[in-house]
Amino acid sequence: MKIIVPIKQVPETSNVKMDPETGTMIREGVEPIVNPLDLYAIEAAIRLKEHAGGEIIALTMGPPSARKALTEAIAMGCDDGILLSNKKFAGADTWSTSYVLSQAIKKIGRYDLILCGERATDGDTGQVGPGIAAWLDIPFMTYISKIMEVAENEIRCERMVETGYEILAAELPCLLTVVKEVNFPRLPTLRGKLRSRAVELQTWGPVDIDAQPDFLGLKGSPTRVVKITKPQVARRGKIAAPKDEGELVTAVDGLIEFLKQKEIV
Amino acid sequence: MNSSGYNRVDSRIVEMLKKIVGSRFVLWNEPDKMEPYSHDEVADKRYMQMPEVVVKPRTTQEVAQIMRLASRKNIPVTPRGAGSGLSGGAVPVYGGILLSVERMSTILEIDKANMVAVLEPGVITNDLNLLLAEEGLFFAGYPMSVESCFIGGNVAENAGGGRAVKYGVTGRYIIGLEVVTPEGEIIQLGGKRVKDVVGYDLIHLMVGSEGTLGIFTKIFIKLLPLPSKRVDLLVLFKDIASAVALVPKIIAFGKIIPTAVEFMDKTAVELACRYLNEQLYSQEVGAMLLIELDGNDEAGLEREYEIIGKMCEENGAIEVYVADNATTQERVWAVRRNVPEGIQTFYPVKSSEDLVVPIASLPEILPQITAIAAKHDVIIPCFGHAGDGNIHTTIVKKPEMSMDRWHEVQETVRVALYQMVLARGGTISGEHGIGHKRKKYIPMVLDPVTIELMKRIKQAFDPHHILNPGKMFE
Repeated sequence: MKIIVPIKQVPETSNVKMDPETGTMIREGVEPIVNPLDLYAIEAAIRLKEHAGGEIIALTMGPPSARKALTEAIAMGCDDGILLSNKKFAGADTWSTSYVLSQAIKKIGRYDLILCGERATDGDTGQVGPGIAAWLDIPFMTYISKIMEVAENEIRCERMVETGYEILAAELPCLLTVVKEVNFPRLPTLRGKLRSRAVELQTWGPVDIDAQPDFLGLKGSPTRVVKITKPQVARRGKIAAPKDEGELVTAVDGLIEFLKQKEIV
Repeated sequence: MNSSGYNRVDSRIVEMLKKIVGSRFVLWNEPDKMEPYSHDEVADKRYMQMPEVVVKPRTTQEVAQIMRLASRKNIPVTPRGAGSGLSGGAVPVYGGILLSVERMSTILEIDKANMVAVLEPGVITNDLNLLLAEEGLFFAGYPMSVESCFIGGNVAENAGGGRAVKYGVTGRYIIGLEVVTPEGEIIQLGGKRVKDVVGYDLIHLMVGSEGTLGIFTKIFIKLLPLPSKRVDLLVLFKDIASAVALVPKIIAFGKIIPTAVEFMDKTAVELACRYLNEQLYSQEVGAMLLIELDGNDEAGLEREYEIIGKMCEENGAIEVYVADNATTQERVWAVRRNVPEGIQTFYPVKSSEDLVVPIASLPEILPQITAIAAKHDVIIPCFGHAGDGNIHTTIVKKPEMSMDRWHEVQETVRVALYQMVLARGGTISGEHGIGHKRKKYIPMVLDPVTIELMKRIKQAFDPHHILNPGKMFE
């Protein structure tokens, strides 16, 4: 089974600071990491390979430094990595990004499955996975919480929806986006790290993937960021603070009355 | 006057305290709000004591006025930082005034030219390091309760923590203190200078004095350039012996000084992983080491972790994981940091010990700890800072044991553990301190002459014995 895992390098977001003027993130001094949700896709791919054999190729588009994301994926257990890096790719939106990734996948050639994380923690759109499938014209299933069975030409999965779970099946090749519930990603091992250092990563540009120039980068992206604003949260709380036990009953009654008015209870 | 010989805090005293700090910053007759000041992180409720009044001064002058008032009125004062201590040091054993430094929380100065920061005692150590990181600097003292503890408490307890192997403990970085004496005088010790041999080294007498000699109102700490790269190895071993035997070898044969070598035995790993819902644990795991390296040269670090990783594999490691980015590092350190929470969740009745031995003795004491646990029918998860020989043995009550029996047994076990480490050139506390939890064991460790000298020092600083009484010595 040949599996392709498109991943993204994102800024480590636990201590992110925003520029109050521009509304954008201050990237300086922020460590780049593999999108945490992509780790679940990598893990899912490794488990399928451990079960049925095959090959896993990690794929990423980004600046040259994004090769670190690929070596981490290889250290976890992917076999190979391809970096899509070129100035012409820069500034791409989800439409252009999924186009570039799909062109690269076409160049890779035959594959059985594409596994993506649910979304990236920086852009937060969740559009690139389905976008790739659309460009490739293959079936896709999103929010997959369990890969149940992989048969010769079919895959059965469980999808998490608000009301419960759905069981879905699709023909191979297809694309899945997976959610956190799908597995528990492993840590890279020393063996994996040493192996990843030895793997020679390929870097592809627009010509290598036979891309249409006007589909690339900021210019090729239909999305326009017109304005970034920070929403004002205006919540008014109600605090019931009884001073002694005597006031407790009145306070609780008041609180219940309040919740009733708001039609919460 | 009460049985201890101290005067009670009455409404007149409270009024005077309110005049000093403002009425908003005095808590009196408000048991709900005062309860958090009655204990630290020692789990055993027998070590709790409510203060009579809680005072929250903002300035050095206010602290001095409070001490003068307390001296005059013969009322005990217990200074308190964040209350994350593990020996009862901040517990007001005789009631009286609880002096919290929580409002003295300003980072007064970061002097890059001298590589010194000047802090008030209520600064959260983690906040300081976050701020310093932006400047490419850091404070190398690193206690495990890093997100909550105050620098004042770190100095008072001479906190150690994970990085002592390479960077030593808090005291190494303290180069100046402003101190309010128990009698309410303000003194300045040291400052921004690196060298100073004039007179006795009172700074390092103050460091680790557990709030019994003076109250720190300003702290001068030495800063270091923050290493830009960090790698952690999480190593799984099938048994304790092979894990611990490796620790002294890393430095001796690997010729590498890691920042930290943390150790967790099977029970500690299992409980932390259960608590975190972390799947790194499996039945075959008998112990874990967490080894951290830092530096500025990525290739150099890669070589070093490869050397150590291979040493681990040759010494019976089941698996060596490499964490070299924020995601994976947070994950491996979360396991180590949450061992105490894991134990607390599944075995709430326990006593945390803080044994320390010379590091080459670690391999021989761990089987003895296991034997002591078996003999007395308790569980003793062990974890801690293997790299500096500091092991947090936690004596844990099995659920089926009665409380009466437990009180008896934990005492016996504690003494047995203490005798074991003392016989090997170790001691009973590496970083948690004595407080009132361990004071009765001091004679096991120190000879009578030393104890007498220490008591005379206390007498010289605090002639009326009003500052944090009931700590350190019986």
